[in-house]
Parts: sequence; structure tokens; C-alpha cells
Amino acid sequence: MNISDFNIEFDKMINRDYFSDKVHPMREKAFSKFLEIGLPTKKWEDWRFTNLSSISNSSFRISEKQDAPNGDVDISQYQIDDVETIVIYNGHYLEALSSISSGIQLLSGLDYLEKTNWEFKSPERSPFDLLNTAFMDSGMSIVVDQNVIVERPIRMLFISSGLESLMVTPRIHIDLGESSSATFIEDHRGDSNSFFQNGSTFVTLKQNAQLDHIRIQSNSVTTANIVNIQVEQNADSQYTFFQFADGSQLGRLNIYNELKGEGANSDINGLTLSNDSQHLDNHIITDHQVPHCSSSQNFKTVLQDHSSGVFNGRTIVRKDAQKTDSSQSNKNLLLSKSALMNSNPQLEIYADDVKCAHGSSTGTLDKNALFYLRSRGLDVLSAKALLVRGFATELLDLV
Amino acid sequence: MLDIKNLHASVDGKEILKGLNLSINPGEMHAIMGRNGSGKSTLANVITGREDYNVTKGDILFAGDSVLEWSPEARSLAGIFMSFQYPVVIPGVNNTYFLKAALNAKRKHAGEKGLDAAGFLKLIKEKLNEVSMDPKYLQRAVNDGFSGGEKKRNEILQMLTLEPTLAILDETDSGLDIDALKIVADGVNRYRNADRLFLVITHYQRLLKYIEPDFVHVLIDGQIVKSGGKELALELEEKGYNWLES
Repeated sequence: MNISDFNIEFDKMINRDYFSDKVHPMREKAFSKFLEIGLPTKKWEDWRFTNLSSISNSSFRISEKQDAPNGDVDISQYQIDDVETIVIYNGHYLEALSSISSGIQLLSGLDYLEKTNWEFKSPERSPFDLLNTAFMDSGMSIVVDQNVIVERPIRMLFISSGLESLMVTPRIHIDLGESSSATFIEDHRGDSNSFFQNGSTFVTLKQNAQLDHIRIQSNSVTTANIVNIQVEQNADSQYTFFQFADGSQLGRLNIYNELKGEGANSDINGLTLSNDSQHLDNHIITDHQVPHCSSSQNFKTVLQDHSSGVFNGRTIVRKDAQKTDSSQSNKNLLLSKSALMNSNPQLEIYADDVKCAHGSSTGTLDKNALFYLRSRGLDVLSAKALLVRGFATELLDLV
Repeated sequence: MLDIKNLHASVDGKEILKGLNLSINPGEMHAIMGRNGSGKSTLANVITGREDYNVTKGDILFAGDSVLEWSPEARSLAGIFMSFQYPVVIPGVNNTYFLKAALNAKRKHAGEKGLDAAGFLKLIKEKLNEVSMDPKYLQRAVNDGFSGGEKKRNEILQMLTLEPTLAILDETDSGLDIDALKIVADGVNRYRNADRLFLVITHYQRLLKYIEPDFVHVLIDGQIVKSGGKELALELEEKGYNWLES
């Protein structure tokens, strides 16, 4: 996508008769800022190891009404038991295939804005935040009222399919009222061979609210997925995030997690598996702004072939955030000599009475462990598979 | 049945075993004693096929076949087992899963059907009893968070489960208190029979009080310098190794 491609698509966006023109000023403002800044380059500190060529060297067009399926689409291969599923296909909400967990309000982007008195969020942490505001075209919002316990997990199934090079820009709001709780699953699937998704998710947890947020990125290995998640936590709220990623050519997860109320806790975990030339990137910022909060970041990556990855975890402990208890861990397993991992756990501490731990290790399979298993009669392949499984399982056990 | 002939082996280019000869027949329990660095553990690792060890001369025959070119798993499937001096911790790999995979690899090799979960559980519970291990260890990751004694018991549990013909016990007594030592020794003694071969590697005579060897060999600088009956162990305990050095 070069700048003129973005311009062409943006014109189409603005001239759509079925989009509310009330958001046009926000789109225009964000887009003009984006034009000033452009896409990140490797000279940008936060993007040094991220190769964006699968976005910058391709052309994508925004998804049109005709990119939704004609008639019914078969989603049986994506079926999961015991959840309610909201289906979004190439950026189009398929109401007929969707079911809604009781206890939640499911709103369109526009309805959500109406409900929240147009308190429009327009973050500028990266050019992809701006692009999301400029091009937001899909996604749904979920509101849970106070004291409501949503029993059935809410799953948003994003299917990217077809031969067209589509750019889809979902925006999701998850608002949990005081002392409510829910499980939200973002499930990204599909066989599309060229697809650029730049999604933003805004999570707001009121006092004592609890959200389990699971994200599965198992769409095709030729797609580009940029994810921008912002989490705002009030007192005693609990946020647990787990991402499993094995899809996409370029995957980049950005999480900005603000702990704004005392006693809030967040646990952010990820398991990434990459092969061939995949590049999967995780950038996590946990921002402790007040005392007595706890947080953890725990990421693992298994890399094969000439795939590459990044873990960039930052835990900020502000001056007032005394008694913070935080930990960061990043462990990576390189299964090939040409795989590359960049691991960078960082602490930024401005308070003096805190407990912060961090650690990182990157290595190959343990030779002693491999010999141990083989000496018990397991062949090399089974022994290796068992060790990789063990490496991953250790993290899954936490969830 | 195990014939080691003029074995020379090196690690990182340094020669450790310098012409070692040893034969063990079915039903026999042999002990190898020696100081640190004499080559005891090297011998155990060479027999089981660890890749960092290079055999530069000589041969190891098991049931008449040279095993030098065999992979560690091929040796294991043929019936060679080592209880590790330092059992490896494998985080995330469930002990039951590991034991079952190992047992079924062996059964399949022998042309038998693999055991299902229920069949395996029945078998492993009997074996656990023999080494007085709590079944909770089955649910843990392999050796993860195990004490020294628990790790060694887990090794003996594996031996009892896999039923090898040749069992090499590498410093199995290290890190064991006297109660654990008795449990481990009982497990080994019950496993002894006329068809099985044992090679016990140890520093100290202590273990040999509980596991009585038929033969004791003294290893110094990569060679067996003296062999004798179990009384040799007592002599070593008394006199040390100096009198055997040239």
C-alpha cells in the first residue's frame, strides 16, 4: 500500500452512502495525520525488527458489500462447542449465522457511539491506530452491565476468505460494568491468500470487573494482521489475556494496558508458533499508574525454518505506583539455525517500593533432555515433538 | 552377553577411556568403583550411546552385536538402560505421558500392541508400589520439582517399567538418604534374575551393602586395574585407591 493507494481507498470510504457521515471528521483528522507520518520504517525504535513489506509492497482495497458471501456460508469447520459465536466475514457481520450470549448487549460501531455519548477514542500510539480510526469498517461492540455474570463465552469469529486483496479494519469495544464478568474470544480464521487486517480493540473494565480475553490468530499464513489492543482497568479489576498465534505472514500484536485503579491485576500471555518466513511480533506495555496493582507478561515462541519473531515487553511503574508486583518472562525455542528471535523485556520504574522481575531466554532444544528421552527408547522425532509440546504446555497450564 | 573390548573413548578430544575390557554374563551384578574423573560415567554414557562421546578404538558387543553404530533409542529398545546420575528435568512433559510413550515404543518394537491409558495405569500403579512412590508424581512434569531421592526413584521406576536386560546404575546412591537408598536397592534386588545383567557405578562402598555385587572392578585413569569379589569393595573402603596406582 503506497500513499496513493491509501488515498484512493480513503475516498471510497468517505463517499460510502451507508456509513454515517457523523464520523467523517474523525476519519479525516486521523487520515491526514497518517499521511504526515506514513507507515513505520525500520528506523523507528518500536518497529526496528518488524518487516512491513507484506503491507507496503501490496495493494489492498476496502471490503465492499459484494465481498460478503452470497447466501449462506458454511462455517462448520470453525465450530467450537459451548460458546456463542458472532460471525464477521470479510468485514461483514453475518447476523443470520450469529448467536448472542445472554447478559450482553451487542452493538454496531455507530450504536456504541450513540450509547456512549460520542466519547470517541482516537489513540495515536502508532500509525496503525490512525489507520484504524480512518478506515474502521467492521467489528462489533459488547457491553455488559454491572453485576452481570456472562456464563457463555462470547466468540467473535473473523473469517477472511477469497482471492481478493482486502483491507479490513475492525474496531471492537468491550465494556464491562462494575463487578461483571465475561469471557471474550477473538478467533481469526480463513483461507484468504491476501488480506490486511488492522484491528483495534478497546477494553474498559469497571471496578471489580473480570475479563478473560482469548485471541486465536490462525488465519492463513499469507495474511497481514496488525492488532492494537488498549485495556483500561479500574480498581480491583482483573484482565487475563492469552493469545495463540500460528497464522499470518506478518503478525503484530500491540497491547497497551493501563492499570488505573488500585488492586487491579492483569496477566498477559502468548504462545506463538512460526515457520517458513512468518514474522510474528508481540509488543506489550503494562502501565502501572497507581499503587497495589499486580501484572505479569508471559510469552513463549517456537520458531522453525527462517521465521522470525519479536517480544518487546515493557512494564512501566509510575512514581505513585508503590507496592507494584510485576513479572515479565519470555522464553523462545529455536528449532532451526536460520530462525531469528528478538527478545527485549524492559522495566521502567519510577517508584521505589516495588517488586518487579523479568527474564528472557532463547535457545535450542536441550541436548541432555533429548538424550534422556532417546535413552528411554523414543526416536528423535518423537523426542523432539515431546520436548516442544512440553515447552508450550508449560504456558498453557497457566491459562 | 555384554563384552567390552579394548575400549578407547574421548570427550572433546580428550581421551578418557584407555583400553577398557569388561564382560558381564546374564545373572551377574558388576560394580565399578573409582574416583571422580576416572572414567566411570564416561563408560556408562558410551554404552548407552550419548553423542558427545567418541569411541576411537575397541568395541562394545551386546548379545553378540556391536552397538557402536546404534542410536541411543536402538540400544534402549534392544534392552540397554541407564539410571542417570543426574536425571534430566523436563518442564511441561507429564511423567505419565513420558513413561507411557517410552513403554509403548518398546512394546511396538517387540511386536506387541501399545497399552491404552487404563492398561498403562494398572501396570504403573504396581510399579509405583515397588519403589514406594506416591501416584501424584505421575501427574507432575518429568523430574520437575523432585528431590534428589525422588528423581532416583523415578529412574528405578522407569527401569521396572521398561524391563531392560542390561541395567546400568550410574551413581544411583548419590543424593539419597538411607531410607531412600534402601527403597532403591530393594527395587533393584527384586529386579535381579538369571537373565539380567547389572553394572553399578559408584564412588562409595555404601550402596554395595544393599546391592551385593558378584564382581567389583577398580577403574583408574580409564582402565580397569583390579577386579575381585565383593570383598574388594571393603578393601577399597579401608585403604582408598592409592595402593592401586602405579
